[in-house]
Amino acid sequence: MEILTQLIFSGIALGMIYAVIAFGYQLTFATSDTLNFGQGDALMLGALVGLTLVGMGVNYWLMIPIVCVFGAIQGAVVERIGVRPAIRIKSEFGWIMSTIALGIIFKNVAENVWGHDDLKFPSPLPESPIRFLGANVLPMEILVVVGAVLMMAAVELFNRKTIWGKAVVATFNDREAARLMGINTGLVITFSYALSSMSAALAGVLIAPLTLTGATMGAVLGLKAFAVAIIGGLTSGMGIIVGGIILGIAEKLTGFYLSTGYQDVPGLVLLLIVLAVRPAGLFGKTAIKKV
Amino acid sequence: MTLSIRLSAIALACTAATAFAADPIKIGVDGPFTGGSSSMGVSMRDGVRLAADEINKAGGVLGRQIQLVERDDEAKNERGAQIAQELINKEKVVAVVGYINTGVGLASERFFQEAKIPVMNNVATGSVLTHQFDSQPENYVFRNSANDSIQAPMIVEEAITRRGFKKVAILADSTNYGQLGRADLEKALELKGIKPVAVEKFNIKDVDMTAQLLKAKEAGAEVVLTYGIGPELAQIANGMTKLGWKVPMIGSWTLSMANYIDNAGPGGEGARMPQTFIQEPTTPKRQSFIISYLKTFAPKNNRMDSPVSAAQGYDSVYLLAAAIKQAGTTDGPKVKDALENLKAPVEGVVTTYNKPFSKGDHEAITANIPVFGEVKGNRVVYAYADDFKKASEVRVKDVNAKGALPTAKK
Repeated sequence: MEILTQLIFSGIALGMIYAVIAFGYQLTFATSDTLNFGQGDALMLGALVGLTLVGMGVNYWLMIPIVCVFGAIQGAVVERIGVRPAIRIKSEFGWIMSTIALGIIFKNVAENVWGHDDLKFPSPLPESPIRFLGANVLPMEILVVVGAVLMMAAVELFNRKTIWGKAVVATFNDREAARLMGINTGLVITFSYALSSMSAALAGVLIAPLTLTGATMGAVLGLKAFAVAIIGGLTSGMGIIVGGIILGIAEKLTGFYLSTGYQDVPGLVLLLIVLAVRPAGLFGKTAIKKV
Repeated sequence: MTLSIRLSAIALACTAATAFAADPIKIGVDGPFTGGSSSMGVSMRDGVRLAADEINKAGGVLGRQIQLVERDDEAKNERGAQIAQELINKEKVVAVVGYINTGVGLASERFFQEAKIPVMNNVATGSVLTHQFDSQPENYVFRNSANDSIQAPMIVEEAITRRGFKKVAILADSTNYGQLGRADLEKALELKGIKPVAVEKFNIKDVDMTAQLLKAKEAGAEVVLTYGIGPELAQIANGMTKLGWKVPMIGSWTLSMANYIDNAGPGGEGARMPQTFIQEPTTPKRQSFIISYLKTFAPKNNRMDSPVSAAQGYDSVYLLAAAIKQAGTTDGPKVKDALENLKAPVEGVVTTYNKPFSKGDHEAITANIPVFGEVKGNRVVYAYADDFKKASEVRVKDVNAKGALPTAKK
């Protein structure tokens, strides 16, 4: 039982890391039907900028808002350079290539600025584990889970309560109609990219003390998060969290009970099943009704 | 008439010879200078640069300067294969030193074998590396690192005999390096009549080792034997801290990598691994090597990122230079023959190479040479005070040294 609890806790912590990144995919998909495939690299940039700030003596908690601003600017740049031209000419696939290309550029820049090695991100919380329900949990893991939930709640609240948020939802529902109603849809899309990269940058500094920090840290995580976004549904915030947790726990349980050589398999099998049975994702439809 | 032909022939030969003398000797340097293996790759390259620089300042080899052609294989097998072809066909190198990752070495060597260009493998440790072409009349692959058939029994000896552990778990990564090493560890354990209680696998870039460690813990392991590279090894140490389960880690020499030591922090202290070189000035040669390395490359905290790679990289160039000098030519087969029959001893950092290779033996390092290192105070030190005391007596190759696994012919 203790083992199972430990595995589930580790799975949840890992799953929430995936979910935070997947959340960024969802944000841009909601306004423009496009995805930022450089999401993993936005996360990596956030973590490395954060590391530099911490190295300069900035307090971890003070550093977070600075990294968020950096992430927002980076996201806006990606949208202006890579996505807007593709949307303007109604290109179906242009944005895929351009966001991937920008991601690679960011990675190469990071390699030149921060070097090629994996670096240690100093943990702002104690690194000794806490006993909880018979299992060990790191304080940092709790911070990731809490931070992720808070961030998603904040964005969700923003969308429902503020006039800006309503513009975002309107743009998602019908871009043309929203434009006719006087909403600057172009700006809304830029904004959603900024928000998406901001969440990725925040995710970066949240998870960096747990993972290692380096130019290549985003690649595997970005891919896993994409699977989570598909499993949970690209239109549902709830789906992202549940999808992340399912994938995280599935990996850990398979690793322990089956074989660690196969721990990546169940998540991908699940992805295939979801695509075959419910292409909109586990929670895709209900969310559409809700809006 | 004949005289004038003869004269012109001589004149031609002379000009050819002078052009020849002016040409630099091109030596390929292949290693991962980016990614998780880069601390080994970059340290190896720096060691190679240092040696080439010293040789050039002393007048070069055969009166010609050594020119290094450095290529980053990114620890990717297919990249290594591409680079091998580029070095052979475009750069026309005389020989190549390097290879950190066993998989990359395996994928690249056959091109050099076909082109009859000697390869001096200075870091990769997969046992099979020097035996890929055993069935062919000539083998162009040499090595001056401690291979896995030496390291695996050393690790097992340390864990089982010296420290008396009975239940062992093996954690190895899913690359060629990790899996070949795991097989060697299992073989070495079998010779001691021990079956590991858990054998687990992880991928490069895995960020959570909970499942693997829990399996080892549940099986009652008293010690964890590792075969992987720095960043993931650090995640194993961090995972142990998280689970509040602390058993000794003993593993292959990669536990000495800076990115293991830095990322694991206090949780990584006490890990032990076989080392051919520890950054201590125990002989004059080692002292001058350490001083000029630190002066030239100024690593952080005066700690080499991977002292073993740097030392072996340095030695590999001297071995090659000695062979070229003895052969009196840069012709591949002749350099290979010279390597197999080096007449003068080569004083290196790791050891003094006295007839390091022969026709059937392309391994410069034998089981008696490596010592155990331990991570202590963020650097690698001698694990045993006795080894440290006796370090000034250079351990030289002993073909009859016991302890190595019989290497399987491919």
